[in-house]
Amino acid sequence: MKTLTLFELNNMVREVLETSFNHTFWVQAEISACQTNATGHCYMELIQKDPSNGSIIARAKANLWRANYQRLKPYFERETGQRLAAGLNVLVEVGVSFHEAYGYALVIQNIDPTYTMGDMARRRKEILARLAADGVIDLNRELPMSRLPQRVAVISSATAAGYGDFCNQLKHNQYGFRFDITLYPAMMQGDRVEESVIAAMNSIASRRDDFDVVVIIRGGGSTSDLSCFDSYGLALNVANFPLPVITGIGHERDDTVIDVVSYRRVKTPTAAAEYLISLLLDTAMQLDGLSDRLVAAVSSRMEDEKHRIAMLSQRLPSLFSILGIRQEQKMQSLLERAVSSVRSRISDGQYSCGRLGLRLENGVRSMLLAQRHRIELAEGRANAASPQRILRQGYSMTTSAGHLVRNVGSLHEGDMIVVHFADGTAEGTVKNVNLKD
Amino acid sequence: MKYEEAMKKLETIVSDVEEGKLDIDVISEKLKEAQELIKFCKDKLYQTDREIQELLSDGSKEM
Repeated sequence: MKTLTLFELNNMVREVLETSFNHTFWVQAEISACQTNATGHCYMELIQKDPSNGSIIARAKANLWRANYQRLKPYFERETGQRLAAGLNVLVEVGVSFHEAYGYALVIQNIDPTYTMGDMARRRKEILARLAADGVIDLNRELPMSRLPQRVAVISSATAAGYGDFCNQLKHNQYGFRFDITLYPAMMQGDRVEESVIAAMNSIASRRDDFDVVVIIRGGGSTSDLSCFDSYGLALNVANFPLPVITGIGHERDDTVIDVVSYRRVKTPTAAAEYLISLLLDTAMQLDGLSDRLVAAVSSRMEDEKHRIAMLSQRLPSLFSILGIRQEQKMQSLLERAVSSVRSRISDGQYSCGRLGLRLENGVRSMLLAQRHRIELAEGRANAASPQRILRQGYSMTTSAGHLVRNVGSLHEGDMIVVHFADGTAEGTVKNVNLKD
Repeated sequence: MKYEEAMKKLETIVSDVEEGKLDIDVISEKLKEAQELIKFCKDKLYQTDREIQELLSDGSKEM
């Protein structure tokens, strides 16, 4: 009995396979593992699952040699925005190979990114349709955002450059806004993303009162595999989360499912930080606006009051001057009345004075007349009793030493006497005094 | 007091003043209250100097 070495057998298998499968095939499969080694070759495992229960019904190694890998990798990533990674459905052109030592393997010659894009889009669409049916798609977006989203729970891998960017951006923001950041580390790539992110979200939810907002960020790196974020379970968690969730998981082209259900989707961790800063800036401006309005309102109120006072004090003098004018007029008329009354009193006085004068004059005049009359009468009588008239009738009159001698007894012997006659005088000396008995 | 509450109080005072609802007697009192509210809100918004100093010194350690 002829025996074969293992190599000989495997060599025979190889020859049969390579002869029978002497051309390439386009094959649909899911990548279940994917890694490159130091030599630059890419080693994958392709599988097919039973759609009804998810069990694997086919499996094959697939090798992408360095030359092809260097050409196909950037092409695929550029087209799909997606790294070649586990979980992706791909359409690849493969040759069948068999190696005596390594066994059965497919050799990838080409890859059609449109298939993967279509597949991803379809998966997203399916998930979104399911979320829509659940009525949860807008739930997170409809949450009220705090005016001060300062207490930030971050889900990220601690070592990601994006996380560092995010923290720097927030801590050294130019306005000096305060932020408190708490990191909840999670796997951000690979097949444990869903489980790990959901665990982080559960931890945050248990302290929900300590946070205002959740930020899911990753990246900074090149294109990365995002299909893990097209996950129904993760999307459901985000949609139902009690705090607004901001996603910054870094994809230029398509939104992942959690981007669609999140409160706000931004492209990069830095943009997530900028968004939070912009929210605080809005609040700060609102506050400044209020404080400006306050100053303006108080000043204008004070101006109004000043104006009111000014108006009143302007009106006062004119009110007073009207009063004054009235008073003046009253005074004037009083004065005029007084003057005219005084004047009339004066003229009355003048009249009575005149009458008095006249009466006085008349009185004096009649008095004078009466006196004159009396004088004339007296003169008449005086004239009748004149000594000349008596002397002319033959009588004489004797004086002694200038005095009229009325009786003889006053004379003495030797006295000089003068005897007056109507036509002259005779002097003599008394010789005898003879008194009659 | 919560920020929202402070903002609401502040908004009420401002619109009261704007609408001339406040007597001159109370206006300075209300202005003072409003300024305290503004300060309260700003304290929440902005890092205090001390915190900034700490951050800056952390930053220099990292470098």
